[in-house]
Amino acid sequence: MASLISIKDLTFSYERAESPQLNRVNLEFAPGEFVLVCGPTGSGKSTLLKAINGLAPHFTGGKLRGRITIDNQDVTGRLPHELAELVGYVNQQPEGWFVADTVEDELVYGLEQLGFDRERMANELSRVAKMLGLQDLLDRPLNFLSGGQQQRVAIGAALAAGQQVLLLDEPTSALDLEAAAETVDLLKSLAKDHGVTILVAEHRFNNLLEKVDSVVVVNNDGTVEKGDSHWKFEEDLRPGLHHLDQTSNSGESAGEQIALTTSSLTVKYGDQIAVSNATLNIKAGEIVSLQGANGSGKTSLLWAMQGAGNGSKAVSTGTVSVGEFGDPRDLQPRERLKAITMVPQRAADLLFLTSLSEELSESDRFAEVPPNSTANIFAHLAGKVNPALHPRDLSSGQQLALVLALQLVKGANVLLLDEPTRGLDYVAKKHLASQLRSLKNQGKAILLATHDFEFAAQVADRQLHLVEGVIQ
Amino acid sequence: MSPFSLKASRVQPGSWWLLGISSAVVAGLNVDPIVLLVQIGILVAIILLSREYAPWSQSLKFYLALATFVVAVRVIFRIIFNLTDGSSQIALSLPQLSINLGFGGNVSLLGDVSVPSLVAATTDGLRLAAIIISIGLANTLANPRKLLKSTPAALYEIATAISVAINLAPQLIESLQRVRRASALRGRSKGLGALAGTIVPVLEDTIDKSLSLAASMDSRGFGRRGKLSRTQIISLRLISLTSVVLTSAGVFVLLVGTGRQPLALTLLIAGLICVLVTVRTTSKNSIRTRFKKETWLLQDYVVVSVAIAAVSARVLGWQV
Repeated sequence: MASLISIKDLTFSYERAESPQLNRVNLEFAPGEFVLVCGPTGSGKSTLLKAINGLAPHFTGGKLRGRITIDNQDVTGRLPHELAELVGYVNQQPEGWFVADTVEDELVYGLEQLGFDRERMANELSRVAKMLGLQDLLDRPLNFLSGGQQQRVAIGAALAAGQQVLLLDEPTSALDLEAAAETVDLLKSLAKDHGVTILVAEHRFNNLLEKVDSVVVVNNDGTVEKGDSHWKFEEDLRPGLHHLDQTSNSGESAGEQIALTTSSLTVKYGDQIAVSNATLNIKAGEIVSLQGANGSGKTSLLWAMQGAGNGSKAVSTGTVSVGEFGDPRDLQPRERLKAITMVPQRAADLLFLTSLSEELSESDRFAEVPPNSTANIFAHLAGKVNPALHPRDLSSGQQLALVLALQLVKGANVLLLDEPTRGLDYVAKKHLASQLRSLKNQGKAILLATHDFEFAAQVADRQLHLVEGVIQ
Repeated sequence: MSPFSLKASRVQPGSWWLLGISSAVVAGLNVDPIVLLVQIGILVAIILLSREYAPWSQSLKFYLALATFVVAVRVIFRIIFNLTDGSSQIALSLPQLSINLGFGGNVSLLGDVSVPSLVAATTDGLRLAAIIISIGLANTLANPRKLLKSTPAALYEIATAISVAINLAPQLIESLQRVRRASALRGRSKGLGALAGTIVPVLEDTIDKSLSLAASMDSRGFGRRGKLSRTQIISLRLISLTSVVLTSAGVFVLLVGTGRQPLALTLLIAGLICVLVTVRTTSKNSIRTRFKKETWLLQDYVVVSVAIAAVSARVLGWQV
């Protein structure tokens, strides 16, 4: 079959970068092909997608060479809005990508920009609403929709003008298991039944692998390989996944000492109950995972246990106790950090200095510990990293390790983690798993809230499930 | 035909803005503190009666606080940098401080504060306060996204920038709260010292969000336009420049010259015509279409008539 998208000798690099994001890439995609684009975090997988609709280099900076054609039109160097009716693009977080208030307004936004007349807009609107099952949601405000529904609206908006190419950047990473599976099935049917060529960049690709027609791997040096979905994955991109499965619970078994205990912990926002009567015990040297869909109360429970409270609106009742420290909610902030510590969903929120070395030494001063204490923990977790780097230039995995080091240096024995695997690729997740295991061997009690069931299965000694605020 | 309603979403956002701006103009030309107070009262009442739940409609408290602050600053400054006006009505008798500036001049602070000077300061403050609340009314009641849709194509890009900025404000507050909670996790205080730790992540977050929204709009075709010839572009620029000059001159005459309202009005109307010509010509160049037609209802005509009546009455020198 003739190819729809053809990429010839494409090289993309940022000024002063050591290696190009994309290096002499040659790829062909057929109409209706469903493609997974994967590769380590920081490799050029998003860049490859963005180059196809012009967001790279126009929104990202950098320099592009080579040639891209879509449907026999040369689109190299064209602006995103010039390609709007050819290519639809769906960003990582649909909620930040919405431009309207309601589903219908969002779906027609692109059509208005492209100058469709009213009759044609009505036709396209009903076609795309039917295709994505949005007919009953047209009047709904976008922020009342679930994550999966929002994702469907974002896909609909990207295809409303009849685009034949759909690019998605990590469409399932923020979704819970069920919504992620639904999204993958939906994409499959768009490719198979409607002939849309789909490229998905994703590092949570287990449920994608069985559905896609082909796989593109973007390596760290910017080179790219393409193959079918059964090709070379076991050894290359999921190193240690199986290995981890075998060793997951082989660490030292948990001690008998209870490190964290809560009873009848309830969290309310006004009249709304986020967590209801949570009673649990975590032993020293134990890793417990807390799973549940988006909005099931995982984050609220963690913040309540930590004691600083998630904003003034959350009110928690019931008891929490951390060994001899008692209830962290009654402790002064500095005292609290010696008992229990937490890493929030966006670890980078805790970083504010301009270099890694400054963050590390400031942490030593604040914690009143000998110099290099934080640096030693960080080196143990992340290995050798150039201390002059800006914290925001670290990879997500390194940022997480840095925040873990900052939070652990005061010696807390209980560690709470909120969605630690968000934005981590398989290699980084493997590192995180071994980091957590080594902390467990030091006797830390770890509770991690996650919807990444694979990761939970690998590291947790025990799994808890939270459904609408109730531990099952 | 839907019944008459003054709920925020039932009135065109453009009408709310017209009312807000007219009210600001009326307030700016007012010299009577009592009338200003009444005007502020009416504005607050309209906001309370009409507002509905929306992210941009929760800021009345902020505008009231700002207005109070402005009045207080005005009065306090007048008390500190007090000019003796020879009036015998003394409201406050404070010790006078004389400061030698070292080059022959003396500055005197405090001293006897007269009633007329306090009244004048309060009136100045109230005038600014009424202008602030007027703009607050428009901001609280008009849905910025809906406003964007009814903007003429020529102003669409500017209106988009404003609308994105307005939409980002609640997000900015949200990321601010999130980052402050995060810094509490690191054991940092929530005081001023923690400012650096807050600003960097919040700004990063906000810039990311705006860029992401911009990328989204561009990917879906925002920014497309037809082609214009060089002569068209030059003549358009000339007309828009003329409109700016005429309008500024009109406003200047209106504010400075007493008894020259006819001249001011002529200038303003000429300026307005130029603006309309620019907007119309540029709009023809746009390829953007609209899915829903916005219809004007009875409430819109009422709001707009009130706005126009208030401004005309004030400008033509009648007392309302």
